[in-house]
Amino acid sequence: MKRRGRGIACMWYPIGFTVAANPSAAVVKINEDGTATLLTGTVETGQGSLTILAQIVAQELGIATEDVHVVSADTDATPMDTGAIASRTTYVTGNAARLAAEKARLMMFDVAAPMLNVKPDQLEARDHRIYVKGYPQRNLHVGDVANHARMVMGQPPIGSGYFNPATVALDPETGQGKPFATYVYATQIAEVDVDDETGDVDVLRIVASHDCGTAINPMLVEGQVEGGISMGVGFALQEEILFDAKGRQMNPNLTNYIMPTSLDMPEIEVDIVDNYDPTGPFGAKGVGEPTCVSTAAAILNAIHDAVGVRIHSLPATAEKVHAAIKAKQAAEQKQLSAS
Amino acid sequence: MATDTKTKTTALVDAEQLLRVPSAAPLVPFPVDVQVPDAARQTPAVGQRATRPDCRLHGLGQTKYIDDMYLPGMLFAKIKRAGVASARIISVDTSEAEMTPGVMAVVTGKDIPCNSFGPSLKDQPVLADERVFYAGDGVAAVAAVTEQIAADAIEKIKVEYEELTPVLDPLESLKLETPGVHAPSANIYGHKIIKKGDIEKGFAASDHIFEASFRTQMVEHVPLEPHSSLAQWDANGRLTVHSTLGRITLGRADIARTLGIPMSRIRVVATVVGGNFGGKNEITTEPVIALLSKKTGRPVKCTFTRPEEFYASTTRHPLIMDYKTGVTKDGKILARKIRLVLDGGAYCSWSETTLGKACILSAGPYQIDNLVAEAFVVYTNKTMTGAMRGFGAPQVCFAYESHMDDMAKALNIDPLEFRLKNVLSEGSLSPTSQTLHSVVVRESLLQAAQRFGWKPKTAPEAEGAFA
Repeated sequence: MKRRGRGIACMWYPIGFTVAANPSAAVVKINEDGTATLLTGTVETGQGSLTILAQIVAQELGIATEDVHVVSADTDATPMDTGAIASRTTYVTGNAARLAAEKARLMMFDVAAPMLNVKPDQLEARDHRIYVKGYPQRNLHVGDVANHARMVMGQPPIGSGYFNPATVALDPETGQGKPFATYVYATQIAEVDVDDETGDVDVLRIVASHDCGTAINPMLVEGQVEGGISMGVGFALQEEILFDAKGRQMNPNLTNYIMPTSLDMPEIEVDIVDNYDPTGPFGAKGVGEPTCVSTAAAILNAIHDAVGVRIHSLPATAEKVHAAIKAKQAAEQKQLSAS
Repeated sequence: MATDTKTKTTALVDAEQLLRVPSAAPLVPFPVDVQVPDAARQTPAVGQRATRPDCRLHGLGQTKYIDDMYLPGMLFAKIKRAGVASARIISVDTSEAEMTPGVMAVVTGKDIPCNSFGPSLKDQPVLADERVFYAGDGVAAVAAVTEQIAADAIEKIKVEYEELTPVLDPLESLKLETPGVHAPSANIYGHKIIKKGDIEKGFAASDHIFEASFRTQMVEHVPLEPHSSLAQWDANGRLTVHSTLGRITLGRADIARTLGIPMSRIRVVATVVGGNFGGKNEITTEPVIALLSKKTGRPVKCTFTRPEEFYASTTRHPLIMDYKTGVTKDGKILARKIRLVLDGGAYCSWSETTLGKACILSAGPYQIDNLVAEAFVVYTNKTMTGAMRGFGAPQVCFAYESHMDDMAKALNIDPLEFRLKNVLSEGSLSPTSQTLHSVVVRESLLQAAQRFGWKPKTAPEAEGAFA
């Protein structure tokens, strides 16, 4: 008989390396038409980080995402970056890209100020234009300013920046210190059906409430959460590298190493928790790794809620769940006959 | 009538010509226009659901991964794997492989200028030369004109081993009397401790003490694109490596160090990587194919097979986790003691980071004033464990959250309510006594509960959960 259960699990997760410096540098060049190019040493590994970086640069320059072209991951052409690791790209590379864009923007303001007959600090950039604050009737298109900068003033706008999270080394005796600049938080709740005759677990639904600071691109946050949950489902129920007695892998292939497919995926509801981190670019932190952290815990708690067995080792395969149910029934039987 | 015959003949000729033309996909002029309003064109840019510029290329199958790249004269490399978990290498005989038609070059561990690398401990050889530490170790590599010839040639390499007893169980490895995997180095190669408050006092003041142990398994990252790299030298001695690395800066440093050449002579490009999840943060075959390319003066490419992806790249650390927690009868956690043992596999890789993060995060997102968390990572003769999405966090989360639910049940408190009583909040001190900011774990719990429709099942005291 199928038994329904629910399980909750929350987590916290840091952004960036543990204490160690993990800097990013970035260069932003403004083209003659007011569009821009970002040079970054980070690597797009499928998570959409280059789009996030383009959005951050675009926001700083007051232009659209599509107006920023990103050149990445070439040690000949792009500045130093610690890379796509430790959920650090949005926060660390994002801060570096924002600082680089800010410098380029200030060069633009230096050029625009005399054109608008005001001081540079009276200007703001938005909607592809540079406006006089408090008197938006006076404004210029970014392309006109960029072209003027290049062709008339001889000052092509380009900015570079770098960022490294602020940390404090840990005391070797007590471990006390500030290992990370910031953390994100999340809760996932899973609903499962467990077949108490076979031990088979069907994950029906997962609600995932994730903090990432400002969501620079909510669609990419959702993508990360869905991908993380699929990894979490495999970790919870199916995936395991097995070794023989001589230490050789027994299932190094996708026939015998079972991982979830689209058919194993639960219904996922992504919920982004409203938050703003003043140390992140436009309040953003990160979301990559944290999405797979609490999934297995939530599913295992749901199994416990459904059939009353606590599985102490992952993965909770049908065999393992079935054996635990049988053991529990045998113990209950024994208790009954004893009383 | 005559006209008819002529038409027929022309048609036949056309058909014959068509048969000689290679088949090709229908022509699609670029760019492919999509007539939908795109958030990527909106300002302000932050907060927009902008589509990724690479998604259309992925969708159209236009993305060029390294395995899609073919350079003139390019050779294909294959790595000979040890297949034994612990052994001394007596001899490597590559003569038969070298004589195979189509084989252009063979290298072994002895050919690597500086045969060690690693992000923290430099304990990993590029190719094993004297010792094999796990079955996935490479012992030799072949470059040949086709992938199949290279694959056949590595079968002809004869390696004589003196097999040693492998250490496979991390708890066994932890014992002092167990032979060292990397003797004379100790098997415990990383240790971390976090102490906060007074744990004895905390346990003494607790009404209940709960203990539990948990274990997790080894898993693979399984990126869609396996590890792949392509190396080519130019006549000036400059090396270009296209690689699936997620960290090109570290990759270039490791390539420079292992090959003994200046960084200015190396270009690493990783424009598109088909999935990383932590598994592509360090070099694998890059120095090997660079040497094969140097020897032959040809571009050399190596792409892992799916089995190699499992046994020759990093995996997730299995953890053994012991928890002891003291709580008051109304559900406030007063003290927690944790011991973690991480199975580090054959090499350190990113174990140091995983050890640190697992240890710091192991208390969970809870305010616990009296805490001791201690973690060890040990060598075993198994596939190396390294960076993987979460760096130990999914493992400890499974433990602390299972433990939380068991305690909630024993105390007859709703699991949500029990968490809300203990979670971190703005300004809380973390296990390392860092003042935390932008803390929203409470909000995430309440939002998830509301969205899910969570209602307390247990005692009436849990009613306050949504208050």
